[in-house]
Amino acid sequence: MNANLLRAQCAIAAILLLSGCDDKVADPSKQYGAHPSLPAPQQYILPPMRIAFAKGWGTNQAPTAASGLEVKAFATGFMHPRQVYSLPNGDVLVVESNGPKAPIYRPKDFIEGKVKGLSGSAAPAGNRIILLRDTTGNGVADQRSVFIDHLNSPFGVVLVGNDLYVAATDALLKFHYEAGQTHIGELGEKVADLPAGQINHHWTKSLTASPDGSKLYVGVGSNSNITENGMAAEEGRAAIYEIDRATGMKRIYASGVRNATGLAFEPISGKLWAVVNERDEIGPDLVPDYLTSVKENAFYGWPYSYFGEHVDIRVEPQRPDLVAKAIAPDYALSSHVAPLGLVFTQSSSLPADYRSGVFITEHGSWDRSPLVGYKVVYVPFKDGQPSGPPRDVVSGFLTDDGKALGRPVGITLDHSGAVLIADDVGNAVWRVSAARHLASGPSEPARSGK
Amino acid sequence: MSNSEKNIEPLTHPVLVSSAAALLIGTLATDVFYCQTLLFQWNNFSIWLLTAGLILAAIAGLALLFDVASKRLPVIAWDRFIGFTAAALISLLNAFVHSRDAYTAVVPDGFVLSAVTAVILVFLGRRGWSLRAGPRSSVAKTMEFHANSTEVQP
Repeated sequence: MNANLLRAQCAIAAILLLSGCDDKVADPSKQYGAHPSLPAPQQYILPPMRIAFAKGWGTNQAPTAASGLEVKAFATGFMHPRQVYSLPNGDVLVVESNGPKAPIYRPKDFIEGKVKGLSGSAAPAGNRIILLRDTTGNGVADQRSVFIDHLNSPFGVVLVGNDLYVAATDALLKFHYEAGQTHIGELGEKVADLPAGQINHHWTKSLTASPDGSKLYVGVGSNSNITENGMAAEEGRAAIYEIDRATGMKRIYASGVRNATGLAFEPISGKLWAVVNERDEIGPDLVPDYLTSVKENAFYGWPYSYFGEHVDIRVEPQRPDLVAKAIAPDYALSSHVAPLGLVFTQSSSLPADYRSGVFITEHGSWDRSPLVGYKVVYVPFKDGQPSGPPRDVVSGFLTDDGKALGRPVGITLDHSGAVLIADDVGNAVWRVSAARHLASGPSEPARSGK
Repeated sequence: MSNSEKNIEPLTHPVLVSSAAALLIGTLATDVFYCQTLLFQWNNFSIWLLTAGLILAAIAGLALLFDVASKRLPVIAWDRFIGFTAAALISLLNAFVHSRDAYTAVVPDGFVLSAVTAVILVFLGRRGWSLRAGPRSSVAKTMEFHANSTEVQP
């Protein structure tokens, strides 16, 4: 009854004011971990849009770090940096990228594109890889070169031996790399085609390699929010692929994964983990984005259901047979935070209580009020499994009035064990390290005790 | 009165009202096709029909203002005005519903709104697309434009 009343009010508001009604929103902390609270889905009158206008950092402005940590700009002045990757010799690769131009299939595509553009998502990108070098070891890059140019919306990067793999939006490419190289002029050799096509809605292709280097794993996002471009467009989409490095043979390793934007191997268990962006427009607290170990040949529900057998009524014809097979992910990060990168911290040089878990970059919401995400969190692990709620590690990406100074995307550890974060609105790479004055201070409490 | 009406310029709004109505009624047809086939392209068809229909409806509203301001339309048929306005507002709501993603863009809310709009417009359209007041007036005026026929007595 109340829902109907609310719906009627929304309808009137939509007609008269063209404004949405404020939803009752839950505390994101109720959606952390293995058993998030999942409210009943709702169907909107107005598509929910609440973005943070892109502002960028002022001089001497920087994100804020949790106590015991400090943040400095490693390098600035990029064109939409999305990914960072550390090479063994200490050089750092920065992938400047953005998606191909999205087709307009509906009036909504046009309007959403314009609105999201205000949040910086349409900023021009280099579509290339920049190499940074810190020759003095002071935590600031002092040399920069264009490493690989003219790539087609690249995202994931991984080095195995002397083979540097770059996941462009339509193909996995291989380049020969020698330590110390600052530029690669050759065209990449295509290892495998990746699903792209005209719509290419979730265009990022995340990438990692198995610990032994024999297999590569590629995250391929869905071609829509929830099949509004038809099921045919989802062929080979919403999946994590396994590609054999020797032969280039590829197969779907796990499916029903809406958009696996980050992949990494957990060092204790040796298992593959992913951060995944879940579906939109069924409520401010649905569906939680998640962190999960990726089980071989498992089906994670998209598009038919979420978190196991929670059916999404927007998908017809439904598939109860597949819903019955759908498994729930390991760990919810709360709804709409948009996790885009992860890195396990066992080899980091941060204080001890950040050394046995995973850092996750949350790019931030565009369809939830109040805003969520826009920060980097740490999820502690024990015995290869998450063991507590996420803790904020780097924040301060938003102003008090809700504008975005920056948005975190890719994340990695540099060769000294500090954390590097790509910021695609601030056009910077931030370096998070143990705070020097605190680390050497006499009053620093012991961090081992319970 | 009859003589004065006979001499004024033709109304500008009816052709726009009829064009908007054609597109908004068409939405019901594409919604039916969607329900039968579940092909997403029929929903896209519906939302473009709604969008174009609403743009034409807005222009029809401006044309109505013009007709009133230029004294071509001395008296508005308010019952028909309310009917057409209701159809436009329901279609605006329907455009938002049709902008949902996938099945629930059409079923059931969008389909119901399309059907209600179509019923209103077909009902009003039996007497033409003019907002001129008076019994059977729009039919009379339409006949007048095309055939310059004799007037219907009130």
